[in-house]
Amino acid sequence: MSKNDPSHEFMESPFSLSRREFIAIGGVIIALLALPAVWVRSALINRNHHIQARTKGLYRDDATAKIRLSHENQAVMRLYRDFAGKPLSPVSEELLHTKYINRMKALS
Amino acid sequence: MNKETKTYRKGEIPGIIAINTRECKGCDACKRFCPTGAITGMFGATHRVDADLCISCGQCLVNCPFGAPYETVDPVEQVAAKLADKRTTVVGIIAPAVRVAIGEPFGMPVGSLVTGKMYSAMKKAGFVILDNNFAADLTIMEEGTEFIQRARHALFGEKAEHGGEIGPLPQFTSCCPAWVRFVETNYPALIPNLSSAKSPQQMAGAVAKTYGAAQVFKAAPESVYTVGIMPCTAKKFEASRPEFQSAWHFMKEKGGAASSAPYPDIDAVLTTRDLARLLKKMKINLAAENDAEGGTLFAEYTGAGTIFGNTGGVMEAALRTAYVVLTGTPLARLEFEAVRGLKGVKSADVTLRDQKYGKDVTVKVAVVHDIRANIRPIVEEVMAGRSPYHFIEVMNCPGGCINGGGQPICDTGSSWIGRVLPSFAWS
Repeated sequence: MSKNDPSHEFMESPFSLSRREFIAIGGVIIALLALPAVWVRSALINRNHHIQARTKGLYRDDATAKIRLSHENQAVMRLYRDFAGKPLSPVSEELLHTKYINRMKALS
Repeated sequence: MNKETKTYRKGEIPGIIAINTRECKGCDACKRFCPTGAITGMFGATHRVDADLCISCGQCLVNCPFGAPYETVDPVEQVAAKLADKRTTVVGIIAPAVRVAIGEPFGMPVGSLVTGKMYSAMKKAGFVILDNNFAADLTIMEEGTEFIQRARHALFGEKAEHGGEIGPLPQFTSCCPAWVRFVETNYPALIPNLSSAKSPQQMAGAVAKTYGAAQVFKAAPESVYTVGIMPCTAKKFEASRPEFQSAWHFMKEKGGAASSAPYPDIDAVLTTRDLARLLKKMKINLAAENDAEGGTLFAEYTGAGTIFGNTGGVMEAALRTAYVVLTGTPLARLEFEAVRGLKGVKSADVTLRDQKYGKDVTVKVAVVHDIRANIRPIVEEVMAGRSPYHFIEVMNCPGGCINGGGQPICDTGSSWIGRVLPSFAWS
């Protein structure tokens, strides 16, 4: 055996990263780290989705309605003509208005 | 509820909302949605609802990730029995916000507008339709006229026609039962500022059992059974208030069927979730129904009535009508964009000419939703007499009735755990 047998020589594994490779791998790691943040963000954005969707639904109902003013509702007008008289009339006051009570007295 | 409650009168249902202690994990999520701090219990311990402080809005119920809060009142069986009884006319009073949410439990996309399908399904179940939008239009007539009266009294010293007292400005809307109870339990000094107009549900009940029974349903008032179908848990409390037997009092004074036992204006209240359960129990698939018409006089409604379910909707509807009544000229553009949207407090100035007095008037209005976050500065201002506003709309729930405590629970809110749990092996 010669003194210079390469199989007995110690050599570090030749691992080297080019500058480009380093940036690419770093980018992938950061992207993976950022995923949960993206999920949380999209969950937060969708939080109010149902409120906005339902709001839109009602405004669409208004926009497509044939009559859009309360005092032009013929059924309401008929109710006043045949029965209640007019807004704030004695009949209206009795059936359509109310009083409130102070509930704080009971608490103190 | 066996605990003694103080802020309820005889006959009222105390504590619509309770927490199931077996389900509660003590995560404190509900506390972040409670407008009155009615939920007690340390972090990690099971929570309880203090019925005296609770205004029954149900925000904890729709936002609990574990589904622990529940309603203590469930009238589904009772309504089903009345529907089966052919001698009763069961009137379904459908709130605006129900038509954009009732599709969800039947697999339709969130926010689908299903008025026609809903009418059809409810008629199949045996309801006679009274669209609460009709009553919303009626509310605008009463509340709007009241506001004009208050404004003219404050500005020009006008007296009431029948010699009654006229309340102060600003006028608060009174459609939201949670807000009304919030004022009664927290700021009773503001009671004169609340509009005296009933909420649309109670107007509908009173009209259905007087004019409706005689002219539209052709039935005795005792045999008319009114069911409010609401996006709201607080409406169950509202219907139980003892003063809401006005139809009975009215009929008694008129001498018709005087001897009958007192009956409430609204006999039962179903939430949107309750209605979905009732329809499923009767094996009616709302999503598969064809569009139908309401079919009665009371099913006639306007666009102003339907936007009541959105925050800012009551104000917008009231402004549309008040403008025409005050100025005598129609509006060029019906949409008031300033009161739309999800900002906490929205305000707008409307300048118009009062034709009766020939003077220009600037009406300052404000719209508040999500009481928990936004109401305190507004009411403190009014209490101190510094409020710049004349007319203030308040709705308890964020976004208005469409996000009420009785609406179908959405996975997009914080109630997401139910959907996630089954995907774990141990559950």
